[in-house]
Amino acid sequence: MTKISKLTAAILMAGFSGSSWAAQSGVDDLILSVPGLMPSAVLEMSDEPGLWFKDPVDGDALVVLKPKQAAMIKMTDTNTEHTITSLLWPAGAENFPVDQEKPSSASVTQAFDKPGLYVFTCKVHPYMFGAVVVDDPDTKGLDIGKELQLVTGAKVPASSDIAKRLLRTFFVATTPSLWRDYSKPEWDVSLPDIPLNIEGNTISLSALSMTMPNELKKPATPGVGEVWVNTQFEMIEGKKKAGTATRINTGDWNVVSKFKGVKEDMNNPHNMWTDKRYQNIYQTAWFDKKLLTFDRVSGQTYSEVVVGESPSHVISRPSDGMLYVAINAGEQVVKMTGGKNPSAQKSINTGPHTSPHGHYITEDSKYMVTPNALAGSVSVVDLNTDTNTEIPTGGVIPIAVWGTPNGSTAYAANLLGTPPLLSSLTVIDIPGKKKLKDINLAADYDPVTGKISGEAYGLLPIQTPVSPDGKYVVTANTLSATVTIVDTATNKVVKSLPCEPGCHGAHFGMKKGGGYYAYVASKFANDLIVIDMDKLEVAGRVLLSDLKDGSITAHNGMGGQGILPLPIVEHGYLKETLKLSGKGELSPEVEGWLNALTPEQKGI
Amino acid sequence: MTTKIAVLIFCVFTFTHMAQANTESGKTHLITMKAAKLDSGQLAYQMVTHKIRDASGQTEDITHQYSTEPTIPGPAIMMTEGDKAEVTLEQDIKGSNEPVSIHVHGVHYKMDSDGTMKVFNHTADQAAFPGKPYTYKWTAAPGTAGTWPYHDHAFGNPMLGAEDKGLYGTLIINPKGGKVSAMIDGQIKQVDLKDIKREFILWMHETTFWGMELNHLANRQVPLWTNPTIGAREDELVRFHVIGIGTAFHTFHLHGHRWIQPGTSHLVDTVNIGPIVREAFVIKAGEGVGPGNWHYHCHVLQHMQSGMMGGFRVIEN
Repeated sequence: MTKISKLTAAILMAGFSGSSWAAQSGVDDLILSVPGLMPSAVLEMSDEPGLWFKDPVDGDALVVLKPKQAAMIKMTDTNTEHTITSLLWPAGAENFPVDQEKPSSASVTQAFDKPGLYVFTCKVHPYMFGAVVVDDPDTKGLDIGKELQLVTGAKVPASSDIAKRLLRTFFVATTPSLWRDYSKPEWDVSLPDIPLNIEGNTISLSALSMTMPNELKKPATPGVGEVWVNTQFEMIEGKKKAGTATRINTGDWNVVSKFKGVKEDMNNPHNMWTDKRYQNIYQTAWFDKKLLTFDRVSGQTYSEVVVGESPSHVISRPSDGMLYVAINAGEQVVKMTGGKNPSAQKSINTGPHTSPHGHYITEDSKYMVTPNALAGSVSVVDLNTDTNTEIPTGGVIPIAVWGTPNGSTAYAANLLGTPPLLSSLTVIDIPGKKKLKDINLAADYDPVTGKISGEAYGLLPIQTPVSPDGKYVVTANTLSATVTIVDTATNKVVKSLPCEPGCHGAHFGMKKGGGYYAYVASKFANDLIVIDMDKLEVAGRVLLSDLKDGSITAHNGMGGQGILPLPIVEHGYLKETLKLSGKGELSPEVEGWLNALTPEQKGI
Repeated sequence: MTTKIAVLIFCVFTFTHMAQANTESGKTHLITMKAAKLDSGQLAYQMVTHKIRDASGQTEDITHQYSTEPTIPGPAIMMTEGDKAEVTLEQDIKGSNEPVSIHVHGVHYKMDSDGTMKVFNHTADQAAFPGKPYTYKWTAAPGTAGTWPYHDHAFGNPMLGAEDKGLYGTLIINPKGGKVSAMIDGQIKQVDLKDIKREFILWMHETTFWGMELNHLANRQVPLWTNPTIGAREDELVRFHVIGIGTAFHTFHLHGHRWIQPGTSHLVDTVNIGPIVREAFVIKAGEGVGPGNWHYHCHVLQHMQSGMMGGFRVIEN
């Protein structure tokens, strides 16, 4: 946001001429070389929360150029590979979109011609945002443009509701001071008074400002067990990289502890899983290459294994406890032994340029389903033979999958929809290995006027688990900040509930006395939303920050992503744990959790 | 016996003294450079003054040959075997109090000119701070002829240098005899450096070439920035200096031309370039193939696909 004050200066200096030391050739017959582009601005991709495309001048994620100037985007400050991809740009802009086909460390130097807003992202980590505003010095206000084109092919007026939402989200995502901090009484998104030129009209950026009260509330009915949440942006003393795993006791809804990974410099922990005894937590480092294994109770690290670029999710196969780690900047899922020291056994190829993200294994252990972020497909892998069937879905950045308890149907969230649908879930017949249909998550939303005429209002869907009774698909939608609930009987959105900016992770946990809670975590907020699945209502909001912990240096409780509620609700997994009950194989704590479950929750 | 030893000592002393006298040109390069921040936030070196003092004490000022702004790559410093240099660096990086240095490759220097920090060299900080320049002394001793990189070895955390941000440049040590071998018209010949009018410096960083031309016709260093088109007239002798920086490994390839690897008769048209690895070679532009827009690029497929390429424009005479 330092940039914001600079933007005003940039506009005031509108008449300022180009750099004095640009191309010198051409004036001189002796020099026959022609200089290449000289970057007038640089965005360095980093692992730093909010500053994923960082301007080295002031640390902001936005640079302002004049037409004909160039910017360089480079990846010299990150531990993994990315793509540099245009998310939106002024329709008709020359040489656009920029899109790197597969993840790498390659830089891009790009000249900008048409005035307007250009937003870049990474298809592997699609909330990494950086922007270039090309401002024509002769127009009033900072040029946003007339018509913006989205990577999905859709063109929207720059004054449309969706464009404004994207603009506000850009500022919130890339400005940690604008994240929703529930330890404060209100959320104040106050944007400065910068004149923007949108479709020829001058509008102040401050028009996008807003204030909302922050109200925490512990759910009246406790849960059973605990919930682990990846507070992926939390900064810890002694660590260069961001992220912790926060452990919440659902008995009193308080933070029990945080696994910080200081010695390992754990980098952006994204998603977790456990073994059937609930002894180990397996943790992926998404902006890195590693899988960490630590003790659930003591927090002691057992092992740290390099598994590949950008490991996103980890899950086990119920029947044999083998681990499956999705290599998000690769094209494989690594199959590993369980235990304290997982070791890679096999690499299961999911198809060329697939970049699998949030995968799922059927409770009968027969199939694994991967959403292939870069390939617009879903892969169904037969786990008995490790053979892969890739199903093209037409989805743009399929990011997460979950399935029904009987293993028949999977739901894949397409972050950028299935064109022309702006926002969608693709329904997959798992054993049949085919696409059944798309569910429109934003059927009741008008992207131009912003009018919402019903429950179907979910934009940019991410995690999308299916309830243990198979009745509902709960989806965290990051742009609309809503949780949509789809009825699996009708495949229609039956409910839309408010969540937080950057709503991301979702999963189910046990409610005391029977039934389930859905837990939803958000990247740019530090609360965990608890949804009562019997009522389809928000039952509470629980703080993920620990205000007494002096070693948290920034973003306390922020960055909510992967969620692991224990006991695991899926019966295919739970039954393996229940088999060990009463045999001295489980800790008294875990035995206590199992004893608190109803027969329905146990699946008997 | 005593006499013999005395004679021996005398001889050794005289011989050593004479040997030194023979290898020294008597020329000292008095250089002041600064490290500065570009508008883009990248860092770069800039020449402030470059004077050459000869044995008689006369100085020639060649500062006008350099760009008047910081550039990536930084100024190309050209010396000859036998020359010495005193290079003073100023820290002029806006908004930073961090140390910045020059660590040079190839030439000889004493420990205090290493350009590293005390935490690594256990002696002293050999870096410039704002308002506190630091002077490095180099000797282009016999056998150091070649193209060498210099770069910062102090800026940033953990004080290992900001090569990635743009703090690097080229040091060219020409051989004392003034000649380099090259494959010209199908034969290995000794080319007189005076006959080379254009030199192209291409740094390979991640997926980008950063270029600079030393144009001896205009007596000027021309910054060429990213993935430039370099140009020469057909049949002109031109020298390339290709250097790697960063973490990536490259294969430099120039279309339509081939050259001998230095010190060998081995003919190549592609060369492996890892970080800080360099290759310098002389070719005759368009030899045997004629004029055209010849392509040059990194032959690592992914780098190529990311635009790591440019043109070598050979213009018909």
